[in-house]
Amino acid sequence: MLWYKSWLDTRSRFLIGLVLLMLSAGATVVYYPEVMKLMPMASSIDADGALGRRIREGVELSRDYRGYIWAQWARQAMKNLGTVFAILLGTGGLVSQSSGAGALFMLSMPASRNRVLSVRAATGLAELLALAIVPALLIPVLSPGVGQRYALTDAFAHAVCLFSAAAMFFSLAMLLSTLFTDLWRPLLITCGVAVVLALYEGLVRQVAPYGVFRLMSGETYFRTGHLPWMGLLGSAAASAAMLYAASKSLARQDF
Amino acid sequence: MADPFIIETTDLRKRYDRFEALRGLNLQVPAGSICGFLGRNGAGKTTTVKILLGMTRPTSGRASVFGLPADAADHSVDIRCRTGFVSEDKDLLETMTVSEIVRFTAGFYPRWRADLEQRYLEKFELPLDRKVKALSRGMRTKLALLLAFSRGAELLMLDEPTSGLDPVVAEDVLQALVSHVASEQMTVFFSSHQIAEVDQIADHVAIVDRGRVVVAGGLEDLRERYCRVQLVFHGDAPAITLRAPDVVRTHREGRVLSVLSRGGPQRILDETRALNPASAEVVPITLKEIFLETVKAEE
Repeated sequence: MLWYKSWLDTRSRFLIGLVLLMLSAGATVVYYPEVMKLMPMASSIDADGALGRRIREGVELSRDYRGYIWAQWARQAMKNLGTVFAILLGTGGLVSQSSGAGALFMLSMPASRNRVLSVRAATGLAELLALAIVPALLIPVLSPGVGQRYALTDAFAHAVCLFSAAAMFFSLAMLLSTLFTDLWRPLLITCGVAVVLALYEGLVRQVAPYGVFRLMSGETYFRTGHLPWMGLLGSAAASAAMLYAASKSLARQDF
Repeated sequence: MADPFIIETTDLRKRYDRFEALRGLNLQVPAGSICGFLGRNGAGKTTTVKILLGMTRPTSGRASVFGLPADAADHSVDIRCRTGFVSEDKDLLETMTVSEIVRFTAGFYPRWRADLEQRYLEKFELPLDRKVKALSRGMRTKLALLLAFSRGAELLMLDEPTSGLDPVVAEDVLQALVSHVASEQMTVFFSSHQIAEVDQIADHVAIVDRGRVVVAGGLEDLRERYCRVQLVFHGDAPAITLRAPDVVRTHREGRVLSVLSRGGPQRILDETRALNPASAEVVPITLKEIFLETVKAEE
């Protein structure tokens, strides 16, 4: 029953995220031929600095289909949308519902707060996993339509990287949701943390190899063919620690 | 031997920053009673109920329900499994339909009473397909009662059950409560600031004021013990302080000295005989008077 409640609480956010990510994955594949026609023009763009470097790198990567998918999908749309929906799925819960939105009713049920939180976290993480896997699988499915092939293992690897890194933002949003009684502060603070991390990774190049967004985009896997196990384990540990802190925080809340 | 008290608190305290909501609350609710927890707004009623259900932790003191400590997380689950609760705001899951919330709640309770669910669905004429958020205040209260009644609970804990209801619906709710308790063996603990409804359905009462229980006991017993002694003098009533330990409050106005006692009239009559009053009359008092006089005396 708690699963059903958690699903009701998060389904609209999940379904919107799923649709957007699938549209984005589908569009990346479908527009591949059009983008390829524009590539000669892009390579002649004369831009300096980080933007110029980014464009030139994109053009270079897009010389093969796998590189194109990584540059356009995994490194951009999937990463950005994945972060946003991970945060959205993580916000909410008992504390934010405490002003007349069912919190007292839920707390009067014979279920411990730990169990309520665990089910909420498990539901959110399952939805996040679906957000990572389903749109990623769409790419190998649609690729033959544009005369290309994309390996199923590549799709899975990028889904795992997205899920693992996005789970940290999900867990942070859940933790903050046990500290604030409104929906907005956990949402905005977690978004703020994500923006700061993204800027930091972009500006300080020494940090980038260890960055959460590099992990999320699966860059290590794309370039070396190996999963970034240390990064995956580290993010799983960080997520677990934040969820544990969330359970402790919820346990000491007064309603 | 079964615990004679379903609910018991000892020196229960709760502080929210600078505000002390409970200041050493001692409460005992006998098994099988309908106990009205009477107090003004902000007296500490809701805080007490929340502590008993494990929603809020006490700052100090002890609270137990069914003999189980209410502040222990695992016992609290057991307490909630055996308790039907209706919150003051009739807090329910807004996005569910009536049918969904009934099925949802039933899933938590192994002793869910489908017969009672059916009975109260019909009695309250609840629209199964309507969303909870679209229900009127009266309908919400009836739905909340249905969900509490059908749990197969041994204890009903109701926080201001008729709050915000018109008199007709409030009467329906009280009647439903009384008839339910008459047919099922259970204890009812309900908080209220409506003296009339406590008087109407309770057999025990605990009056709480500023975080402490100031009067408690069986309603009939209280009515027997509490009385007003009115002494009329030939001249102005004397300004005296009575030594009798049961005096709650003394009020002097012109020739009349009015004394509220919680231990019968005899000691007061004995003590005031020497003052030579023109007349002495013992007047029985209502729960409303007990409440008002006690609260004023506390001030």
